Amino acid sequence: MRARTLVLPLTLAAVLPFAFASNHREAPITGIDRAADITDVYAFVSYGPNQQPNTPPEKVTLILCVDPLLEPGNGPTLFPFDPGIRYAIEVDNDHDADPDLAFTFRFSTEFQLPGVYTAAAGFENGAFQPGTSNLVVPPRIDDFDDVGLNQRQSYTVERVEYDGGGKATLLDTSGRALYAVPGNAGPRTMDYAALYAAGTYQLANGVSVFAGTVDDPFFIDLGAAFDTANFRTLESGTPGVLSANEDASPANFASDTVSGYAVNAIAIEVPIEMLTATNRIEPATSPFATIGVIGSTSRQRVTVRRSPDPTRSGGGFRQVQRMGNSLINELVIGIGSKDRFSMDRPKNDQQFAGFFLDPPIVGIVEALYGGALKVPSAPRYDLLPLVTYAAPIAANGTPAGPIGDMLRLNTGVPAAAAGQSTRLGLIGGDAAGYPNGRRLADDVVDITLRVAIGGVLDPSFPGFDANVNGRLGDGVNLNDAPLGDVFPYLGLCPDGRNRRHVDPGEPGGGPVN
Amino acid sequence: MQNLALLAFSLLGNDSNVAPSPAELLVRRALTAIESQPNRAEAYNQLAFALSRRARETADPAFYERAHEAIQVSLALEPGNLGARKQEAWALLGQHRFGEAADLASALNQEVPDDVLVYGFLVDAHVELGNYATAETACQWMLDMRPGNVPALTRAAYLREIYGDVDGALDLLGEAFYGVPATESEDQAWILTHMSHLHRSVGRYDVARGLVERALGLFPDYHYALAELACIRLSEGDPRAAAVLLRRRYDAAPHPENLLDLARALRSAGDEEEARALFDQFEEAAMKESEGSDNANRELVGYLVDDVDGRESDALALARREVERRHDVFTRDALAWAFHSNGRTEEARKEIESVLEVGLREARVLYHAGAILAASGEPARARALLRESLVRDPRSEVAPGAIDLLAGLPGGDAAR
Repeated sequence: MRARTLVLPLTLAAVLPFAFASNHREAPITGIDRAADITDVYAFVSYGPNQQPNTPPEKVTLILCVDPLLEPGNGPTLFPFDPGIRYAIEVDNDHDADPDLAFTFRFSTEFQLPGVYTAAAGFENGAFQPGTSNLVVPPRIDDFDDVGLNQRQSYTVERVEYDGGGKATLLDTSGRALYAVPGNAGPRTMDYAALYAAGTYQLANGVSVFAGTVDDPFFIDLGAAFDTANFRTLESGTPGVLSANEDASPANFASDTVSGYAVNAIAIEVPIEMLTATNRIEPATSPFATIGVIGSTSRQRVTVRRSPDPTRSGGGFRQVQRMGNSLINELVIGIGSKDRFSMDRPKNDQQFAGFFLDPPIVGIVEALYGGALKVPSAPRYDLLPLVTYAAPIAANGTPAGPIGDMLRLNTGVPAAAAGQSTRLGLIGGDAAGYPNGRRLADDVVDITLRVAIGGVLDPSFPGFDANVNGRLGDGVNLNDAPLGDVFPYLGLCPDGRNRRHVDPGEPGGGPVN
Repeated sequence: MQNLALLAFSLLGNDSNVAPSPAELLVRRALTAIESQPNRAEAYNQLAFALSRRARETADPAFYERAHEAIQVSLALEPGNLGARKQEAWALLGQHRFGEAADLASALNQEVPDDVLVYGFLVDAHVELGNYATAETACQWMLDMRPGNVPALTRAAYLREIYGDVDGALDLLGEAFYGVPATESEDQAWILTHMSHLHRSVGRYDVARGLVERALGLFPDYHYALAELACIRLSEGDPRAAAVLLRRRYDAAPHPENLLDLARALRSAGDEEEARALFDQFEEAAMKESEGSDNANRELVGYLVDDVDGRESDALALARREVERRHDVFTRDALAWAFHSNGRTEEARKEIESVLEVGLREARVLYHAGAILAASGEPARARALLRESLVRDPRSEVAPGAIDLLAGLPGGDAAR
């Protein structure tokens, strides 16, 4: 039977909506799949509390944050990782924008007290039914074995070598299960700090891991950014332009919209030789020192072809999202391409080259400033260091490779000495900071505004003004919660009972205007 | 613009006692939108969409022509607008202008790579052109980008069918059915009918009949379902009942190839005279549209080989011309059969092997493959293919031929 007009049913596709992008829900698909939504990826040479200048690098810390803007008080299930998702941090070490190895994380959930209404319950040494010895509320949680940690998640970590290199499960050196640190329900329920400490594991071969709900380390005046770049007017008198004083100050002049919110983080610290193509620690001048890093989340999928032998089929997962550089998908990629960008691989990013070399956001901001800000013209070859292996991040002689969004890290560059790092990273004279990798305290919003819009990497264009182009910023200079100075470096999750979101007009929240 | 609206309106059913179909409702809604905002391009895009849907409901290609007219108005109001170009791709597919549709869909895909509908156009065009790897890639993007979406599931099911995975196709169609809103009765009927076709193709006639009867309950006189039910009646040995259904189908969708099915059913029912007249009518009508993109050339090839004597060379010439335009498995099967009928066994074998390599396991194709391999001097493979044809659909129209061939093969036996 031939069906002359057999065009297949299209009805639903015709009405699929596009969602509006926001900082943490930048693509339509992650707008509705928040557990798979990557908020940030970090990669940096590990450092210590008393870091000395020019200490040779030994290890790299890689962090993947997912599931944005978690309100710590939002019970009763808190914020488990999704057992249906394969979380991965992937590394390219041969400059082809195609990862060569990955660390993958899978979670599983158990309930220790299935009859109890909440994910975590605790009270001093336990609460008993009056007049009886019946334990009604378990003791305060300070250990993963405490039954008050009703919803308990364990996880596995695998090191995967692509191109047939195989997989290896990374185990805790003592053989213990690896547990994810839960959200901080509050001081009555749990000793969150104790769980955070216990949830940092030393694995074999010098690898450390952590997974859990922590303070969201990202800081930004999100509301202003997505009110069509309606940044606040501060000392300079020009919206979104900081004064020299504000620029240098370790304080916030606008509200950190992410303050008081949590995020789910996966962190792994690995010896550098486990990452480089040469299996050695390379000096910063070596082409092999620079790696590319992405985070990715994947779910199992329906495939067109059913594999008769699943052990020989690599098609069981679909990538939901990937992230390399901060804010690329949010600010650079067009709304009609965001899902494809999220789900495609960096080696295929040539299709998005038009966005990279001529970001639409630049013209938008220029128009909004009405002539007060001059911007560089397209094509923006000055942005290539973000999307290829190029100086000033990669050493001379490093193959540039294809255009691909990855977070580039020169693993040979020593970590900044204690007290010497700056929030402005590489453009602030701190070679160990973004866009050479990314540390938790790097102010990627200000750096991105200055690099992508201000054109500071190549200020030779007409109208460049160091006091404007070089001072673009949202007024949020640092995270609200203190960061750690040893692995996993992440801040403690705000407690659900007492968390505070800093709003405009409040102390530390900057002006409302 | 006013003429277009009037023309579109005139194509709608005017029986006030019959509830309007989903597409008719969409046409009326679009016409209302045009009336209130005659200079809004999107309103004409909506009309084009509704007309293309109506084309599928009725199998009347005139709706695609009207859709193109609506698209032109839209493009005149807002040159290059995305919505109009998407509708154009769909209308081109409906008119079987697959190459043009593929080119347009590729351009749209590069422009808006997140648009799942555009991937659907790519799948449809490349399936018809026989570019299955390209179609599969696009379809996988559809599945990945919006898991569970109905257009992706139906397309993936069709690819699975072509790859020979009937049960896998049924799994996806079952999932798709539950994703269709209850108001979309034609979409539901389409899925049920196609599920019926798949069950029948592997000999599950009772299941198939139940499904297609439900389809007709949802969307009465649905041309696609009438044809499917007729096939089931033929499987049940009731060509007279099949002919009644096929006559209704032809009344609803008066295309040449629909005459061929009817003529064959009448011949099986013993009505040789009317069958002969309809065969002639089919040939004339099919020849007339043979040069166009929307044609009945595959059916015409089958007719010239199987239903009349001495026309094998005409069949081959036609099949070769058609395969230049599209090299999907069904067209390649037609070419292989035409080569075989002309005694050009090696070329026939090459073509049919390429079809089998894709994976298609339809009883008719398996029969053709068995016959060609028998002629090639490969009785063992021929026997396996003929038996597979009979096992899959023991009551197919090629079953008697397969049984005869099996009996005549060296060391052969009748089908078991």
